Amino acid sequence: MTAPFADRDGEIEAFIVDRYLESLLARQPGDPDGIPAALRATAQRLTSELPRFHPSFRFEERLALRLAQAAAAMRLPVAAGGENVVVPLADRRSPPAAGEPARTSLVPASERAPVPRPVVIGSVLTSAALSVAGAAFVVWRRSRPPTDPMRRAVRAVSRSRPV
Amino acid sequence: MDRAALGRVGPPKATPSLRLAHLDRDKPLVDAARADAARFEPLYRKYVAQVYSYALYELGDHHDAEDATERTFLAALANLARFEERARPADGEGASTFRVWLFGIARNAVAQRRRHVRRHPQAPLEAAADQAAPNDVEASATAHEAGAAAWRAVGKLRGDRRRAVILRFVDEMTTAEIAGVLGRSEGAVRVLIHRALRSVARDLGEPG
Repeated sequence: MTAPFADRDGEIEAFIVDRYLESLLARQPGDPDGIPAALRATAQRLTSELPRFHPSFRFEERLALRLAQAAAAMRLPVAAGGENVVVPLADRRSPPAAGEPARTSLVPASERAPVPRPVVIGSVLTSAALSVAGAAFVVWRRSRPPTDPMRRAVRAVSRSRPV
Repeated sequence: MDRAALGRVGPPKATPSLRLAHLDRDKPLVDAARADAARFEPLYRKYVAQVYSYALYELGDHHDAEDATERTFLAALANLARFEERARPADGEGASTFRVWLFGIARNAVAQRRRHVRRHPQAPLEAAADQAAPNDVEASATAHEAGAAAWRAVGKLRGDRRRAVILRFVDEMTTAEIAGVLGRSEGAVRVLIHRALRSVARDLGEPG
């Protein structure tokens, strides 16, 4: 049963020593009562005798330059075009009145009517709705016979001509 | 424990959060560096010597210490957005969670450098040339015999005991800060330092 008491005594002494070290750190040495003389002397020696080191001026400036270059590289993507920035697009269905601040839609996305919106494909802005409608119109137009007699004549001539 | 004690019920109290906001003494510098990476330099200038000193004590070679210092600050700059201020009232008014975070990175950089040195031992000739390096820890400390004795005694300590003593007496960290760097409880750090002091006292032949 002596070991736990010894541990507790050690913890209490560790706590007292810690308070004393904190006071040394604050440059206001506290009451050293209760601290063994050897520990007190050792703490004072380590505080005053362990040297602090400073890197060479050359190394410090070289690393400062490297950090500045790294910082500039971190800023470059934004400066070059803000690729990572999401730009909100205005809702053109109900433009806000003059003086009214820009508003966001309160209707859930699932309930909103589909709105033709730009789609980013391979970094090029295009309009999906326009492209699909255009293709459908060409297919429909080609499949239907022309109603104009002049156009019918032109098509007949072009078909009869050898390629 | 009732829910009120967890702080989830009732109106939020403004006082503790205000106190927390002012705890980290480096907060203005960190905020500026986060807003613009080019403004990291004041933090670098403030802590470069401390980090270098810690690395030099740990690695014992100024080339290795420079390498670890460089890795530490480059990693800190790259990961500054991930830094979270975790200051508590118990840490005291002058606490810096940024410094704790930075030294956590330094600790990893030192461990990485140590592994590298172990895997790529220097040729005897290179090692001999480095013996006379002007920034060598023991060579510098030898100029002050007392300092050399203290350094040798600290150098004999193992692992976290040595780190705790260096952080306490060289980098002048509080117990809470050392606990943050080493990832231990404050009680464990107190015991580490207490045992380390006993060991160093025996080594230095202090009467008691």
